[in-house]
Amino acid sequence: MRRLWFAVGVALILVFGLVSLGATQEKVTIRWLFETDFGGGWKVLIEQFEKLHPNIDVEMQEGPSATNVREDMYATSLMAGEATYDMIYADLIWVPKFAAAQWIIPLGDRLSPHEIAQFLPGDIAGGMYQGKLYRIPSQSDAGMLYYRKDLLEQAGFEPPITWDELVEQAQKLQNPPDLWGFVWQGNQYEGLICDYLELLWGAGGELLDAEGKVVLDQGTAAVEALQFMYDVIHTYKISPPGVTTYQEEESRHVFHNGQAVFHRNWPYVWTLAQKEDSPIRSKVGITPMVHKKGFQSAATQGGWGWCISRFSKNPEAAWEWIKFDTSYESQKTLHFYNGYIPTRHALFADPDILKESPHYPDLWRVQINARTRPQHPQYAQISDILQRNIHAAITGTVKPEEAVKRAAAEIRELLGQ
Amino acid sequence: MRRKRGLSDAQFAYLLLLPAVFLFGLVILYPVARNVYLSFQEKSITTGMAEHFAGLKHYGKIFTSDLRFRQALGNTVYFTVVSVAIEFILGLAFALLLDLSFRGRNFARASVILPWALPTAVMAMAWRWIYHDVYGVANDLLLRLGILKEAVAWLGQHPLAMHAAIFSDVWKTTSFMALMFLAGLQPIPQDLYAAASIDGAGIWGRFRHITLPLLRPVMVLALLFRSLQAFAVFDLIWVLTQGGPGGTTETLSVYLYSYTFRYLNLGYGAALSMAIFSLTLIIIFVILLFRKEEVELG
Repeated sequence: MRRLWFAVGVALILVFGLVSLGATQEKVTIRWLFETDFGGGWKVLIEQFEKLHPNIDVEMQEGPSATNVREDMYATSLMAGEATYDMIYADLIWVPKFAAAQWIIPLGDRLSPHEIAQFLPGDIAGGMYQGKLYRIPSQSDAGMLYYRKDLLEQAGFEPPITWDELVEQAQKLQNPPDLWGFVWQGNQYEGLICDYLELLWGAGGELLDAEGKVVLDQGTAAVEALQFMYDVIHTYKISPPGVTTYQEEESRHVFHNGQAVFHRNWPYVWTLAQKEDSPIRSKVGITPMVHKKGFQSAATQGGWGWCISRFSKNPEAAWEWIKFDTSYESQKTLHFYNGYIPTRHALFADPDILKESPHYPDLWRVQINARTRPQHPQYAQISDILQRNIHAAITGTVKPEEAVKRAAAEIRELLGQ
Repeated sequence: MRRKRGLSDAQFAYLLLLPAVFLFGLVILYPVARNVYLSFQEKSITTGMAEHFAGLKHYGKIFTSDLRFRQALGNTVYFTVVSVAIEFILGLAFALLLDLSFRGRNFARASVILPWALPTAVMAMAWRWIYHDVYGVANDLLLRLGILKEAVAWLGQHPLAMHAAIFSDVWKTTSFMALMFLAGLQPIPQDLYAAASIDGAGIWGRFRHITLPLLRPVMVLALLFRSLQAFAVFDLIWVLTQGGPGGTTETLSVYLYSYTFRYLNLGYGAALSMAIFSLTLIIIFVILLFRKEEVELG
């Protein structure tokens, strides 16, 4: 009998030991996962916040730069019902999925309509699911075209507006492999869809209509946009063949090192390009993404914001941090350190920001006209279908017509249409 | 005394085993049973993560209309067969070389094992940079040597990407094969070779009639280990291409991962994993067939 009591005793000591170890911690830690803090702005904000709230520890886990890898890391943790991450720093396309899976809690009641109106409409729209606000926007994003101001001026070119102008200028100015015409994101991942949608919208096409019906293969825009992507690599040869393996950073490196004339990317490139040691410092201009002649330019809305995990044990501490991070001053800090685009209208007219970034009024016009990708719980799968087919076309295994036909059919089957 | 007042030795032993049994049930039996159950359910983001009975619907789709499954299966089989075959031959060659006695043999043996000791994700990341079209070492080397005229996007086109992945895999795991074979060579008595020489057997004859048959059990084992690993390849592909270009390097594991973790379609994902499990059993069965022939000496 003594042995039995001994075994039970050891087990009890272990259990109570672990429980009391957890209970003695008064200080709470709130955590989220994001990419590398390459500008150092987050570190500054966390220090400021922890000074204001001495009993809250804020921890930012620096993860991979590929968006969908981080999405999967969050999803894996949330699927297990873990409280590892108190906040989810979410790309707007995750919101429908995470909300439908009931992993995040609605936050709309915590803000007044007046407070919500301070933010850019696209960023708020990107945080909605079934009429409820699940995400407070912290960082806005929209696709645009960067160009080498010095090279264009030398050649007497105005910044391109249409696809044809871009191709013509790139072909005249480039000198591969030292200087390429046009670099963008052609790897098989979400960024490819952002680039593709801008071309699709810029040729008058749509992926889904207002009722959610697949209209990708109606009209010629989808095939034309894909053909353009194929042509810049294989026909006009203004993009390096490796562009089909580039994500944001791979393509930015080429542009940043002065090896490309045009570059499609998000706004963060601007700040990095203006740094002291940048080879292209003050040689860069921005302009809305090029479109097909006779149509209008379109930008893909991107952007990041805060959700609170349903499994968090400290949602109120998380909310304190969210309020702090999305405030006017904090967004300004992140703008200056990391080059993030603010989500508050007022910051686009901030005198300090205007002094350093005179392009902000133009950027604001791009931002408020940016379009969200389909806000559908199954967007990840829709996007994967597009990614596979588009990538097959731009790498030359399938003809663009065939790729569009297949993609549309597969998405219809998925959505039961 | 003990028996009267408390537990017998056998009972005490069972008591001590209980946590292990409990853990085994918790981490193996329960998840497997749950997975089998889920594979007959509709559970996904469209059902709000609720479960509805689906019967054999998922299995029907996998084996009839799921073209992406078929492509992934083809990719996986190709990857497995080609990479394991090359690793097998190279591994055998390395093992035979390392079995010879020469100066610095221990150093050579240690350095051959090195690639295998690296975590796959880390070495895949390095290979991703090696294959980079502008900054990659592969292009730089081949351009300088004059073998290539212009830089190649190794991971950006079909069928180059698959072969680049196979090359990386061969680089890493040939050493595992070599290690297994080297271990298998040790117990073969030198007398056999000496006797065969006296009987007039040449190098090839000795290899064919002594080394090969005696190495056979190790070969089957190595083949089994590597084939199962290659068939389940995930990390290498995920880091290198995420299944691109256009899905031509997508393996079954990557596909399964997408369905379960990215699309949150747990029902279909469970059925997929059952299908992959069955295929794995078939591979084990086929490879073990090679073991049947009895080895005869002399």
